Amino acid sequence: MTQEEALRLVLRRLAALGRELGRPELETADATTRLFGENASLDSIGLVTLIADLEEDVRVAVGVTVNLADEKAMSRLTSPFRRADLLAAHLAELVRAARP
Amino acid sequence: MPVAVVTGSSRGLGLAVVRRLLADGWTVHGLARGEQPAAPGFTPHVVDVTDPAAVQAAASAITAAGRVDLLVNNAGAASMNALLLTPVAVAERLMRVNYLGSFHCLQAFGKAMVRQRAGRIVNVTTVAVPLSLEGEAAYVASKAAVDALTRVAARELASSGVIVSAVGFGPVDTALTRGVPRAQLDRINARIGLSASPSPEAAADFLLAHARSAASGHVEYLGQVA
Repeated sequence: MTQEEALRLVLRRLAALGRELGRPELETADATTRLFGENASLDSIGLVTLIADLEEDVRVAVGVTVNLADEKAMSRLTSPFRRADLLAAHLAELVRAARP
Repeated sequence: MPVAVVTGSSRGLGLAVVRRLLADGWTVHGLARGEQPAAPGFTPHVVDVTDPAAVQAAASAITAAGRVDLLVNNAGAASMNALLLTPVAVAERLMRVNYLGSFHCLQAFGKAMVRQRAGRIVNVTTVAVPLSLEGEAAYVASKAAVDALTRVAARELASSGVIVSAVGFGPVDTALTRGVPRAQLDRINARIGLSASPSPEAAADFLLAHARSAASGHVEYLGQVA
């Protein structure tokens, strides 16, 4: 999975979440959309929902199980959950590592 | 057909819950350390709930096949020791099995339920927590952690449609309590208004009635707990 493919997955899932939560700004999210933290689009349960949904999307799309909120991710100085593009990069990296 | 996951399913209360669910037409996955025979509607998984990787692997296998409607976090350990004489290893083991075991399963299956936007998690606790039973400090502390986990998880997951609650028992008539002196069991049962320890089947019925209707965050006890 390339970073571009991962970003498409993230944005598609954000749009679906936006429709579900009645948050139109998520439907037009792009690579620079702030996901979590100050002035961000998601609260903590919104982020948990996004992560859970994305992990399933990845399993269905490429057949590997990833844990997006692993200890490495949680201890990074720059959180991969801060922006959509950072999350996509993190996701693509995990998929690469998980594939034999 | 609804799907349940029951931990500690090889004996005692867990086994009774599995049998009741199967009789009610559920598909059931049992997580236990030992081998369990497969049966129609029942899939056994050899899992030690203190091992997060093993729990996650089982959760991935189960949820890949479909939804999970109910998780019963029943796997547990007990030990009665005078507080000042309790070996540290015993206190650590109780915390690992009772608290972290529930924590690992709640995380692994909770994610699947968040994806479904629905599900129910029932944690098994004990009347020893509200009664502050002497001689059970390490056990009570580990189950108090389960109670606290239940209440916080209920708040965190409420908006995702996932209901988290707990049900607590005094001594249930299982292998775990048969080594406890009868007089001690009688004293505990008397404190919660019971004439005898309930059978695993009676406790399972109570648990499943709770699971059908309990509000999120509710901790319900079998017996009278002030």
